[in-house]
Amino acid sequence: MSHIVVTLTQQDGTVVRIDDATADESLMEAARRAGVAGIVAECGGVCSCATCHVYVAEDWIGKVGEPDEVEDEMLDMVDHIRRPNSRLSCQIRLSEAVNGLQAEVAPDL
Amino acid sequence: MASATTQEEQLIAEGTLLDPVVHKHPRQFYAAMRKLDPVHYDKSIDMYLISRWEDIQEIQRDPITYSVNKGYHEQQAKGFAEEFQQILREKGGGYFPDAIMSDPPYHTRVRKLMENAFTAHRVKELEPRIEAVVNGLIDEIEDRGEMDAVKDFAQPLTIRIICEQLGLDWHIKDRIARWSIAVTAQIGRMQDRAEMLEHAEQICDLQHYIIGKMRERQTDPREDMISDLVHAKEGDGEGSVLTFEEAVSLVRALLIAGNETTATALSNLVYILATQPEVLKKLQDSVDDDKLMNRFVEELLRIEPPVRALSRMTTKEVELGGALLPEGAHLLLMYASANDEPEVFPEPRHFDMERKNIIKHVSFGGGVHKCVGLALARMEIKVAARQLVRRLKNFRLAIAEDDIAFLPTVATRTMESLPVTFEKVA
Ligand code: FES
Repeated sequence: MSHIVVTLTQQDGTVVRIDDATADESLMEAARRAGVAGIVAECGGVCSCATCHVYVAEDWIGKVGEPDEVEDEMLDMVDHIRRPNSRLSCQIRLSEAVNGLQAEVAPDL
Repeated sequence: MASATTQEEQLIAEGTLLDPVVHKHPRQFYAAMRKLDPVHYDKSIDMYLISRWEDIQEIQRDPITYSVNKGYHEQQAKGFAEEFQQILREKGGGYFPDAIMSDPPYHTRVRKLMENAFTAHRVKELEPRIEAVVNGLIDEIEDRGEMDAVKDFAQPLTIRIICEQLGLDWHIKDRIARWSIAVTAQIGRMQDRAEMLEHAEQICDLQHYIIGKMRERQTDPREDMISDLVHAKEGDGEGSVLTFEEAVSLVRALLIAGNETTATALSNLVYILATQPEVLKKLQDSVDDDKLMNRFVEELLRIEPPVRALSRMTTKEVELGGALLPEGAHLLLMYASANDEPEVFPEPRHFDMERKNIIKHVSFGGGVHKCVGLALARMEIKVAARQLVRRLKNFRLAIAEDDIAFLPTVATRTMESLPVTFEKVA
């Protein structure tokens, strides 16, 4: 399987480039493997905790898509740090279409 | 009159979770601990009570130093553990340690299997069914104008849903209520030997029932969670990845753990509707606003956490909250105290659905052991709140607030019954 590259900027400004992500994982899973700070993922990726929150870079929003209803409700809970480009990274499936994806890790609650 | 400080000092010196007064009104004790002794040794139960939010977070971030496996199983049937296990081995089909109450990396594998059953998306699909069950229960009580919120509403709702999910017959509902009390009492630290024997007998009955259903599904799998667990596979692996013993413990956990605590949350929901008219008014005005209803659920869980405390055990000497804990220290994480900490949640006794950090409460625990059924619990509470508010009004307690009795356990804060009156919305 060919590798997918994603780049995440942590809250402390550190940029983490993950160049061995694969199409069978979520952005959250790739970030956890790489030890990205701020991606806690307490619920294990089932869209129930909002501790995997990221801001997707403007250029990538179109490709990544909007949150569905369930994700939208979870993002509502973190209203005060929610932005139009907010997504829960456990709900972003990686694929060739998002190869090169860039996002910023949202702050802690 | 003694000053506030001396009163608090006295509480710390003499108070214990087993004291009936503290048990019923624990908040003063929590506040005194947070202020004067946040890692407080309670000698009556030989445990350290961890009362601050930040210290609880630190524990939850490190599941290796703070073992759930040791903490939970050490707590189980404390004082009678050997006899308890012996009874289950001889008369209950076996003693099955709780596979989910374990430590990583083993825990990670088991947890994954449970998570798949409870994703927020799967739970969303259950919403119409949950609504139908809630409406059915309200149909039965609406003309009566009164109910016991625990036995007529909360328990039948959660039991019905979990039975349908697992694939069990609804007519066992009374037995499930008894089994729940028996299992929960094992981590409650307030049972004497006679009660332990009675509870152990209930648990034997429970295990025989579960084992029977699992054997049926082994040969005749159906579309239900028991079949999923009996035939659980990981990736492309062959055969079940769980031993039969592990699967028994997981079915037992699903049937009891989530059930009892969600029922408690639903009773608390009715309690809030009956005692906080401004909250009720706000819900009546915004019952179709899903976002507000979700926030209501989180704030309900924060202000009245069903699980007041769960345990851990240290696997090495470690410093926590300014105290040095030895290896093998048995800890109780006081969720109800952390949720009540004014530095984290300003005006903690105020029911505020607009709180920014509304999901920072620890009512579902946290870290890798965060409640796996949280999406289902939230959905049941939300749908129940919505339908109760749509169809009924003028909720009132039918007994004096101080006469509400709680189950004797340090682990949960569960009302034994909650009689309320109400009227039909015209
Ligand atoms: S990991 Fe919990 S919502 Fe994404």
